Amino acid sequence: MSAAAAPRLSPVALMLVILGAAIMAAPLLWTLLLSFKPNADLMRDSGTAFSAPYTLENYAAILQGSSLVRWLVNSLIVSLGTTIGVLILASLAGYGFARLDFPFRRTLFVFVLLGLAVPEQAVILPRHQLFAWLGLHNSYPGLILPGLVGPFGVFFMTQYFRAIPKELDEAAMLDGASRLTIFWKVLLPLTWPAQATLGVFTFLGSWNDYWWPLISATRSDRFTLTIGLASSQMNYAQTSGLGFLMAQAVFASVPILIVYVVFQKQIVRAMAGTAAR
Amino acid sequence: MRRRAGIGLAAAATLVLASCGQSEDRSDIYVQRFFGECGAVYGALTDVGAAKGECGIVTALFNAFKAENRDVGFDVNVVAWPGYAQLAAQMAAGDPPDLVTMHQSVISDYQSRGLLEPLDSILAEAGIRPQDFTEAARRGVTRNGAVYGLPWDTVGGLYHVNTRLFAKAGLMRDGRPILPGSAEELLKQARRFKAATGKPYFIQSQVNDPATHVRNLYSFLLAQDVALFPDAQHIRLRTPEARRILQLFRTLEAEGLTTRNQDNPAAIGSFLDGDGGVFPTGTWMIGPFEQEATTKGRPLHDAYAVFPYPRLWGHAAAYVDGHAWVMPKRSRTPAQRRALVRLFRFMAAHDFDWSRTGHLPAFKAVIDSPRFAALPHRTDIAPLARIGAPLPGMVRRQGAIEGLVGEEIAAAIAGTKPIDAALADAERRVNELLAQQQ
Repeated sequence: MSAAAAPRLSPVALMLVILGAAIMAAPLLWTLLLSFKPNADLMRDSGTAFSAPYTLENYAAILQGSSLVRWLVNSLIVSLGTTIGVLILASLAGYGFARLDFPFRRTLFVFVLLGLAVPEQAVILPRHQLFAWLGLHNSYPGLILPGLVGPFGVFFMTQYFRAIPKELDEAAMLDGASRLTIFWKVLLPLTWPAQATLGVFTFLGSWNDYWWPLISATRSDRFTLTIGLASSQMNYAQTSGLGFLMAQAVFASVPILIVYVVFQKQIVRAMAGTAAR
Repeated sequence: MRRRAGIGLAAAATLVLASCGQSEDRSDIYVQRFFGECGAVYGALTDVGAAKGECGIVTALFNAFKAENRDVGFDVNVVAWPGYAQLAAQMAAGDPPDLVTMHQSVISDYQSRGLLEPLDSILAEAGIRPQDFTEAARRGVTRNGAVYGLPWDTVGGLYHVNTRLFAKAGLMRDGRPILPGSAEELLKQARRFKAATGKPYFIQSQVNDPATHVRNLYSFLLAQDVALFPDAQHIRLRTPEARRILQLFRTLEAEGLTTRNQDNPAAIGSFLDGDGGVFPTGTWMIGPFEQEATTKGRPLHDAYAVFPYPRLWGHAAAYVDGHAWVMPKRSRTPAQRRALVRLFRFMAAHDFDWSRTGHLPAFKAVIDSPRFAALPHRTDIAPLARIGAPLPGMVRRQGAIEGLVGEEIAAAIAGTKPIDAALADAERRVNELLAQQQ
């Protein structure tokens, strides 16, 4: 749809949208502002955020922290590893459920969907014991593998494959293409918007994950960024190191921001598509 | 090609031999702590005296230990405060650290499940005698007659006082604040303070901070010799003593003699800005407040004093907790044990350095020493180590209990729940929690 054809908002609706945006943006701007203030000033009064002096010392303290780069790399490895793994598995499973006919297909699909109803809290103890038994704690596989079990991804990709006309498969089959070729060369390229959406959501979920890394990565050289930044705070960080705390929050959100900026179109398109369905 | 293979084989053999040797004589120890990460500032500092704050001092201490004990592999893991989720996970996975920081109030949770080593023999090897601990510290780490941690300090609530406002209210004598000697006197002084200064007597952190009210309740119940926990499975809160403590704080709240709706950062900001007379908070705030008191132009400049809670009922008493170093149960080589002996000795020898954080030392010799007395306000707060008492060692889940009790009594003090109902609900909820403990 071209920009010219976009419906115009009424002034009231526009005001409401601006108000909503301001409410959404205010905490982010507040965080940013606080991150540039000396901690001692904020300890007296966080209202000083609106007046000089401002400083970069909180960011300097983060960058001087010797383990920060390590935690950042760990987060990237875990988030990218999880994202790639989920995309591969969810695409294959989605294709299978949408296109292949095999015994207990419906039952299996329902079984996968049941996974959506099981909260992580319910499985965390057996999972932790299993990973301890396998010796996978404090390792990248230990951080990546649990994230690969994503019923939402399978459901999402199944629905997407189902929406693609079967005539495409049939035409390819007439041309002598195998199932794998159809999947790889015909259908998979058509699922790019879904892949992008699922990839972004998986990446964000993995990047922000706190609980599993907290109990699985207990050695600081395997901390992800969320755990590493939390470990660097003292008990009363919100009091004596508020600026530093906010700088950490800003720093940790930069990669996420980049992902949003790069994949903005895909995210919006996918959300709109999901809503329309 | 053959030469490369030969080099590869030789390297592999060397590695195997080296690792065999390591497994038998390993002296590397793995220590886990909270208190934050401040390697950027203190990462290379070994002069402990030059470090400031909890994180700085503990980091410099470990640096110094490392420098003095180069034959010991010393690995420090800093975890997010308070680190018990990770510790529980590490224990479940069979890979706990050799030494870990633990609040003394939490020791029972782990000791009762047989997850901690009793330290009597290893402390004896290090030349550390439990009779040298302060009374509060000794009680804090002793369970069933055995010592389960090297006490590191005593942490408790204190009355941080703005002496300028106290003087304005005529509540100073010979340069020292006049603290109340009874509940009635407290109310009288608080009313007088407000009339003279226009400000509330108390600054309190009441939002998201159950510890504030619980510290008051426990301290004043201890002062009246109330058996708060008659046994390990029950708390007793429906008592006249508990009722009158809550009634006092309800009256203070209702008459506007305290700040309202402030969380901890807001309460600290209020105290620094001179918005009230007394801020009951912990030992850990002495450093930041003293810094303000010595900074010209600040509202607290030359106007700060700090004391243990006053005796309002019964005798002088205070509820305290503390930090300790505990050894989770796991297999260790004799060399690792020897390294831990050295570390315990080192930590005990540096208890004074740690007391610069504001926490009270765990050793009597340090608390009685001239150099401790020379630190700001320390002679005023030293009695806390004598009058301070933790909850009985048999009580488990003390952190969770604090949350439950704090929630109920906060409702009573705010006036949203009758006092009797709040005490009954707190008692019921805690007893339900304790009934789940095996």
